[in-house]
Amino acid sequence: MLSFALVNTLAGFLIVTSQSVILAKTSKSAAKFYSLQSLLLVLIFLVLARLQGAHELYLWSATAFVTKVVLLPLVMLKFFGKLVDPNLEAESILPPAASVALSAAVVILCFVVVLGVSLPGSADIKPALAISLAHFFLGLVCIVTQRNILKQVFGYCLMENGSHLTLALLAPNAPELVEVGIATDAIFAVVVMGVLGTQIFRQLNTLDARALTTLKG
Amino acid sequence: MVSSSLPLYALCGPLAASALIFATPARRALLPLYETLHVASIASALAVAFKIAADVVGGETLSAYHDWFMVDALGVIFLGLIGIVGFLTGAYSLSYIRHDLHAGALDVKRAKLYYALFSLFLAMMLLSVMANNIIMMWVAIEATTLGSAFLVGIYGKKSSLEAAWKYVIICTVGVAFGLYGAVLAYANSVAVAGDHHAAILWTTLIEQAPHLDPTIVKLVFVFALIGFGTKVGLFPMHAWLPDAHSEAPSPVSALLSGVLLKCALLAVIRYYAVTVRAVGPDFPQMLLLLLGGLSIAVAAMLFYVQQDLKRKLAYSSVEHVGLMALGLGIGGPLGVGAALLHAINHSFAKALLFCGSGNVLMKYGVRDLGSVKGMLRSAPISGLLIMAGALALAGFPPFNVFVSEFLVFAAGVKGGHIWLMVICALFFTVTVGGLIQIISGSVLGKCPEGLAKGDVGFAALAPMVVLFGLVLAMGVAVPKPVAQLIQNASAIVTGAPSVALTAPWQIEAKAERSSAVAAAAPSQESQQ
Repeated sequence: MLSFALVNTLAGFLIVTSQSVILAKTSKSAAKFYSLQSLLLVLIFLVLARLQGAHELYLWSATAFVTKVVLLPLVMLKFFGKLVDPNLEAESILPPAASVALSAAVVILCFVVVLGVSLPGSADIKPALAISLAHFFLGLVCIVTQRNILKQVFGYCLMENGSHLTLALLAPNAPELVEVGIATDAIFAVVVMGVLGTQIFRQLNTLDARALTTLKG
Repeated sequence: MVSSSLPLYALCGPLAASALIFATPARRALLPLYETLHVASIASALAVAFKIAADVVGGETLSAYHDWFMVDALGVIFLGLIGIVGFLTGAYSLSYIRHDLHAGALDVKRAKLYYALFSLFLAMMLLSVMANNIIMMWVAIEATTLGSAFLVGIYGKKSSLEAAWKYVIICTVGVAFGLYGAVLAYANSVAVAGDHHAAILWTTLIEQAPHLDPTIVKLVFVFALIGFGTKVGLFPMHAWLPDAHSEAPSPVSALLSGVLLKCALLAVIRYYAVTVRAVGPDFPQMLLLLLGGLSIAVAAMLFYVQQDLKRKLAYSSVEHVGLMALGLGIGGPLGVGAALLHAINHSFAKALLFCGSGNVLMKYGVRDLGSVKGMLRSAPISGLLIMAGALALAGFPPFNVFVSEFLVFAAGVKGGHIWLMVICALFFTVTVGGLIQIISGSVLGKCPEGLAKGDVGFAALAPMVVLFGLVLAMGVAVPKPVAQLIQNASAIVTGAPSVALTAPWQIEAKAERSSAVAAAAPSQESQQ
């Protein structure tokens, strides 16, 4: 039985996957969790498409499947698989428990914010909307708390997934070309970051963000 | 709106040149080919920008591809900047890159990459200022970051890679806020306008603005200001800017500071225009005054203490975009017009100085102001041009920056922000001190012994002389077509009748302005 409750439940699982991306021990497993998360996102799109009769969303889910479930994780595995800094994998500023607590705080805050917004047709999907906003900020949490520079790339991808879900929830009939533009940008962003990350690893022999402090003032 | 293919033609030249250079193998013997394609690219961008500008000055708004592209008086100001500054810094690149090749700082593979990315970067900036589709505008602005990241890190040194990484991460994450803002704006616009295709256009958003949800519009403006403000270089999101500007090759620094920051500013201005119509001017203006004022204060102090010439210039950019934000925050036809004029004037002056810093690097090999002395003796023309650029940036008449700074401050005093203006003026005095240091030490000072006399080549000096000509000409008088464009553009932003901006000494035009104000006043009263 398809209902908005299913959308909200699937959205809830997104938070679990993004937490796994943030806490993953290696970049490889983070890439796999990201792929899993994108698959959940595609499922949400499909359910929404069926519920709202939005044909564009079927196209979106196809594009999102190709770009986010398959291509982006492959690009990540190709670039990041070779970059392993034994001293640093997934070293966080915060202990895992604190990281989870922080994420919970972010989610609660976003629920409070979204409750104050009144958009036509958004009453049923408010939990999912709150989660999409929270997801955006969880990406930011990942960037700020992780010392591995590759985790900053994953943080950006989480932020991007958050905006993508908001777009699907609030404007399910947006032109397909818009979504292609956003997805293409995401792929190029990860490629550019991958190439730069590789060059930095070759030059500095580390992935520690704390090593990037030559330029100051 | 008039349908036209010109916006698409503007992209064709740089995109084709970029693709061709990428497709060509990297060989030393092919360098003239890369250079020819590069010149064709920057010349075509300039030519089409001028053609579009001529049409828009005549009062038309061009559109293309289902209205996804749109060039109005506001957009064309920035289009013109990309055309002119892109052409001049592109021309300057020719001798600069040859010098780097000879000096061994670049190999031919990287020189090829430089020219290919330069055109790509230009094309993405052109796309961003001509976009009428709010998501396409975001895509283009994000693509400018991706296109220019390798330009920043092209030397492949530790410091340049660090700068490129910070640039990509901070700007991508920052601009992700812009995407969220765009998504919210679009969702609200669909709910109001109903049409999924039209709702994504700026032109629709402006029309529907009074019907949008005030809470959402405020959220959208905050997201857009954080997002695109990161790329504009406003405090406290400016952290990438000094690193990227100082590590990039000098012509790229000139392009980043002179043009890229302004492309992002255009995005902020477009959201500002929507927000003003939806929730009134108070909310967006308060935020812009706050960020603008803080940017000026922090950047002035950091500018003063820098010893690295290019970092110094980068902090000066933060300060001047702060002044533009201040002008927008003051609002009204005068404040917005002055901010737009300052965007143009700062572009020319800063491009001149960053090219000057390129000459310093070609001549001295370092950027440390402690080692760069006596430019006037070792390279007299470069020395004079840097001196003129520094005086212009310090806000001395008869150069252009004085005119627009004066107008921003005048608008602020008129708008009742007298104390804020006094404080900002004091911070600008600190900057004057820093610029005088550059002149007295690096330009005048005592030339180090053993340094060969003789200026850099004609090819590097010619674009700088043209930039200097623009800095001077815009200082003597605001040209009529430019004044006309700014007047129309500020009317687009504020939605109210606008006034023609002139230099304080343009007496004839001043009389016209007072008559224009008199003519505008009754119509405002009748609206109330």
